[in-house]
Amino acid sequence: MGWEVVFVAQMMLLITPELCTGCRLCEGACSFHHYRVIQPSRSRITVVKFEDRGLDVPVTCLQCDDAPCVAACPTSALWKDEESGLVVYEAERCIGCKSCITACPFGGVGWDAETNSILKCDWCGGDPQCARICPTGAIKWVRADQADDTKRRMVALRMQEVAQNLMAPKRAGV
Amino acid sequence: MRFPYKGYAGKILRVDLTSGKIREVNTPKEWARKYLGGDGMAARLLWEEVGPGVNPLGPDNKLIVATGPVTGTIWHTSGRVVAVSKSPLTGIWGEAHSGGHFGPEIKYAGYDMIVVEGASSKPVYLSIYDGKVEIRDASHLWGKDTYETTEMIREELGDPAVQVASIGQAGENLVKYAAIITNYHDAFGRTGMGAVMGSKRLKAIAVRGFGAVEVAHPDEFYEFALEGHRRVLESDQAMELRRFGTPMLVAVKQAIGELPTKNHWVGVFDRYHSIDAETLREKYWVATKSCFGCSTACKKKHLVRAGEFAGTFTGGPEYEAVFAFGSSAMCDNLPAILRLNLLCNKYGVDVISAGKTMSFVMELFEKGILTKDDTGGFELRWGDYHAMLEALDMIVFRKGFGDLMAEGVRAMAQRIGRGAEKYAMHVKGLEISGQDGRAHRSAGLTHAVSARGADHMRSLVTVDQLAYWDTARERFGEDKVEGVVNGYSEAYKGLAVKMHEDAYAVRDSLIVCWYTVGWPPIFWMDDFARLAYLVTGEEAFKDVREMWVIGERINNLKRAFNVRLGITRRDDTLPERFTKEPMPAGPAKGQVVNLDVMLDEYYTLRGWDLKTGLPTREKLVELGLEDVAAELERLGKLPRSERPPEGEGGVGEAG
Ligand code: SF4
Ligand code: SF4
Ligand code: SF4
Repeated sequence: MGWEVVFVAQMMLLITPELCTGCRLCEGACSFHHYRVIQPSRSRITVVKFEDRGLDVPVTCLQCDDAPCVAACPTSALWKDEESGLVVYEAERCIGCKSCITACPFGGVGWDAETNSILKCDWCGGDPQCARICPTGAIKWVRADQADDTKRRMVALRMQEVAQNLMAPKRAGV
Repeated sequence: MRFPYKGYAGKILRVDLTSGKIREVNTPKEWARKYLGGDGMAARLLWEEVGPGVNPLGPDNKLIVATGPVTGTIWHTSGRVVAVSKSPLTGIWGEAHSGGHFGPEIKYAGYDMIVVEGASSKPVYLSIYDGKVEIRDASHLWGKDTYETTEMIREELGDPAVQVASIGQAGENLVKYAAIITNYHDAFGRTGMGAVMGSKRLKAIAVRGFGAVEVAHPDEFYEFALEGHRRVLESDQAMELRRFGTPMLVAVKQAIGELPTKNHWVGVFDRYHSIDAETLREKYWVATKSCFGCSTACKKKHLVRAGEFAGTFTGGPEYEAVFAFGSSAMCDNLPAILRLNLLCNKYGVDVISAGKTMSFVMELFEKGILTKDDTGGFELRWGDYHAMLEALDMIVFRKGFGDLMAEGVRAMAQRIGRGAEKYAMHVKGLEISGQDGRAHRSAGLTHAVSARGADHMRSLVTVDQLAYWDTARERFGEDKVEGVVNGYSEAYKGLAVKMHEDAYAVRDSLIVCWYTVGWPPIFWMDDFARLAYLVTGEEAFKDVREMWVIGERINNLKRAFNVRLGITRRDDTLPERFTKEPMPAGPAKGQVVNLDVMLDEYYTLRGWDLKTGLPTREKLVELGLEDVAAELERLGKLPRSERPPEGEGGVGEAG
């Protein structure tokens, strides 16, 4: 499961979609970390693109505290590690029922047809590569209990631009 | 057998629309070794398969969409892709590059290149989805713009992540400078690649792949890629580009007197501030986006919130659209420029050629060469953006005088006569992009010698334009630096253009983006050598000298393709405006381009014949292009030292 790092506090991936430029470097880095090839289709983070509206939203597992996937899993292949906060996946126990995919409210769990197992973020063993490569700060690896500070600062800095973003049109003009 | 190099998919998809036959062939290993990929490999294929007699809009022409070994990796700007064909606008080498996410998807789908030949009898689109390749009916898509086409195809294939490269009405109507648009906002803009698709009745290419790109030395590659991104993030200029996008060049060029205004008559526009990046950012910016794998993120989305053009939401405009519809046409109405940009993306039109065609017509009206009698009552005057919008509609649907405007300025000048040629800003049939050799001397040479005509992307030197002293010192040495950096001097511009042309050929074959290579100067040939080696595993690529040879080889091959079509030194020229009319105002006031001096230096360094501009046997053989030399010799297109001066380029010229 590659969970080697011990933290002083629980960490989280802080995602700020309005900063995302849609470069998909996070997808590339994630697939590279896990398979040593660049293969976005097997990334555990996916950038949902609405090109006609100029919108990009990175989506991945949020490592919920009361995780619906954990509750749905009939074989305990998914369980919550209370100390780190990670929802851990043990492929050996997985029977491939895909209940977790159905249960996840965010689309954070995917299916890997190449290995018949699920695609779920494992924080890269403690050094999330998506956050490492993201060139815009749209993904940040931060202490969970300080994430709000980080977010406030980012939002405060970008007040004006965020406001403009909210005015983006529903559909392309003409 | 598995392809010996990493980075590549190892396969080429070949589609014949006449017979409906689809096949996969192996990517020739030798092509990877000698031409890298992208532009270089496509040049080899076009040279071999599209002979001098081929009609660009006939079934024998081929449309090549090519990726390089770096495409789809996470190297900075690894999202680029090139379309190559014989150009219907110029009749010679045609190429256009696009960013976005289309290129990487081709690689993930398992192909290095897609080659389309023949022509379908009814509208079709090519669908490549998870290993399944189909030619599908597109009757219901014909007549639709690129936005509608993209949406409908995604719906039809049931996957919003399908990458779609499509043509709009301009490509269907064979507008000679029709573009191919990928996913709404990105374009294979120049040289009429959209018309080639239209002539084949190919409405779109839709791709979705689920495969992987492997690299030869994963760990070192990954670290190098992260370092590359870091270098970009640490560059103030790259981050300024992220903030403002390419329109920041409007103010930069105004300051050096190189903002083409009034159809390239002068290099300053008094109302430039109404169309510059600050105004664009302040009033219309909504989002900053990037192509695949890019840390720069120069792409902007803009929205007009109020007024006549309210609701206009567009990706871009880039600098080139702002100059072409703005200063070149004396138009300071930014919302109108945004509207024109959006419509060009929807109809699938090259913004540069469209804008330059309009400013050409404006100048002809000003000079009285054209009157309403010639145009069926239509009139185009400087800055009249309503008329420009009407002109675009006429061009795309070939209505009235638009039918002629759809042919580009060279053909228009020939048809109109009465001295119109003097105001037709083109080289080899391609409308001139937003530079001016009088204020930026190397750009004059670049426009004159580029394989696709008046082009800024294949060899634009920025060290003289933006006075990059340190970069110039590194690249050219202390003794030359002063001459090179002086944009108003011809000194060493042959050297600079040749060097950049060779480096950019490598860039365009790997393929990586022009930004952070040309401007700002962050990556150069040492980086490319290391990158090519780490990705492919070919030891020889480690040596930077090998990269220079590959770049030179590609440029010689592209030159040979054009020479086979009759191009000689006589065609490596500029409109008189640049060589005879001194710049009338601004910082470059009084400047003209002395092209011949630069050409002599350029040909000498290229090892080409000074008199004819033809590549020599020695040079071609040195570059391992013996077969190319043999073919040119057969056609009488190799320079012969004993040839009398008046016989230059004579043999085979009629064919
Ligand atoms: S697919 Fe595997 S991990 Fe998901 S719920 Fe079923 S058994 Fe559990
Ligand atoms: S932390 Fe690692 S596993 Fe999770 S989404 Fe990011 S890159 Fe993928
Ligand atoms: S790396 Fe960052 S900016 Fe790029 S797509 Fe992912 S979240 Fe968005």
